Amino acid sequence: MNRQDPKKLIPKDQIRGIGRLFAWACATMCLTPLILVFAVSTTQVWQRGPWAGGFTLKYLVQGWNTISPYAWFSIKLAFLVLILNFIIGIPTSWVLARHRFPLRNFLFSLTNVPIAVPGIAMGLALIITYPLLRRNGFLLVAGHLLYTLPYFISSLTPQLSESSVQDVEWVAATLGANFPRRLIYVIYPKIRTSLLAATIMVVTLSMGEFNVSFFLFNPQNKPLPVELYSAYITGRIEVAAAITLCFLCFVVPAAILLERLGGAKVGNA
Amino acid sequence: MEQELWKRIRIALLSLIFPVLLGGFLFWPLLSLGLESISGDEGALSLALYKEVLLSKHYLSSFWNTFLLSLLSTLIALVVCIPAGIYIEGDEGKDRKLLAVALTIPLSLPGIVIGFFVIITFGFTGVVPKLFEILTGTRRLAFAYTFYGMLLGYVYFQIPRVVLTIRGAVSNISQDVLDSARTLGASTLQTYWYVILPTLKPSIISAASLSMATGFGAFGTAATLSRGYRVVPLEIATAFTENFQPKLAGAMSIILVLITTLMLFGINKLVDLDKRSRGEGVR
Repeated sequence: MNRQDPKKLIPKDQIRGIGRLFAWACATMCLTPLILVFAVSTTQVWQRGPWAGGFTLKYLVQGWNTISPYAWFSIKLAFLVLILNFIIGIPTSWVLARHRFPLRNFLFSLTNVPIAVPGIAMGLALIITYPLLRRNGFLLVAGHLLYTLPYFISSLTPQLSESSVQDVEWVAATLGANFPRRLIYVIYPKIRTSLLAATIMVVTLSMGEFNVSFFLFNPQNKPLPVELYSAYITGRIEVAAAITLCFLCFVVPAAILLERLGGAKVGNA
Repeated sequence: MEQELWKRIRIALLSLIFPVLLGGFLFWPLLSLGLESISGDEGALSLALYKEVLLSKHYLSSFWNTFLLSLLSTLIALVVCIPAGIYIEGDEGKDRKLLAVALTIPLSLPGIVIGFFVIITFGFTGVVPKLFEILTGTRRLAFAYTFYGMLLGYVYFQIPRVVLTIRGAVSNISQDVLDSARTLGASTLQTYWYVILPTLKPSIISAASLSMATGFGAFGTAATLSRGYRVVPLEIATAFTENFQPKLAGAMSIILVLITTLMLFGINKLVDLDKRSRGEGVR
């Protein structure tokens, strides 16, 4: 310990400095590949170096033509999963946030269980138990729903249980507003932000889901990441990068918006 | 009285929706997968498959590889992300918002895309080996398809998980305590060791268990990068799709699920018990 001269060592500033350095190192690691994907996908011949043979958009056009049917399928799937999240997640969050009942803690732990099960095991269990439901895409929806619900519920529950929201609602109730009116005019405006965050979270997670889908997709209806994977295994690096870039255009803006809305949830299992 | 009864019925119905879904699409399938994997040829109980997995050198080394990758990636992510999380949640610095966004992006990227990132950076035609060639004349550092490439991919997807968990707990570190440490003359290392790490301990443990479990279950990154370095999720996929051994795949999945569940719930239970025994409540 250096008791004589506290000014000589300034741990708080050093902690900040180290933190800043490490944060920038992480950020560089996270963002550089995004720039590289852009460079690879717009280069004529990547083998010879960045933009060798000139800048081109042909791989992007080619990539988009390859994946657009799968992209639409993934978007449709994500919206179906989102609707089911609303139907199942909102009542569950509501009960968790507003009521004290026996086994409440148990239900709370249950909502985190799907996070603990690796996607590949979930997919395998579903396909072996319900092989007949694979063809109509039902299993894919079920898998994505299970995979996204924990995040949906854990983003929605905290705001629903905030005492300020409950107080305002109570005031509205004593003034004679019935439940549907309270829902539309009081509760919805209060939880709008976390509902939006939960929505974005579900859509991006479902669009990027690969592990659960790997066993569950049927060859006519491949989700986007499954098609991405086959491009990585078989295709030219430029085309693979172009397809990745198309995919990133869906996902990265959503991730940025999500962080601005108050942050993603990683599931507090 | 009647109103109270209706309320109870309503709560019961609403709280049953999720468990029913979970039962039908997770617990029952996992249970039947488990039953399938322990039933022998004539329907008799048999643990032969588990013996096959746990006694074969091949599968044991896959488990070891998975463990090693998860552990190392978790440790690296913790070392880098704890200081980063503290900075981002701090009270000074204009770049904090930007950094927060940058470090959350990997969360929405599937493992296969992360694997591809490693390929375009450190693959045979990756940027770094090329730069190395321009600078020194020989192509080096093309390690994308080795253990180190996979480790890099794993660290990439651990970063947002650790950062977000740590950020949630940083507000527990009071600025006054940091100031006191400073006036008492504690060095940076001492402040970390005696003030910051003990305060963050519960969230470090949950970040570590979350990222260990994620590492064990990671499939996409391994599927794009592995050329011979086997991990358990890859073995499951190969057993089911290439070797047509659904029961073997089932046995390995059950072991994997047990490991990840124990990691996530077991470790957090231990933290709770530890807290309770030391009389610390919810902060």
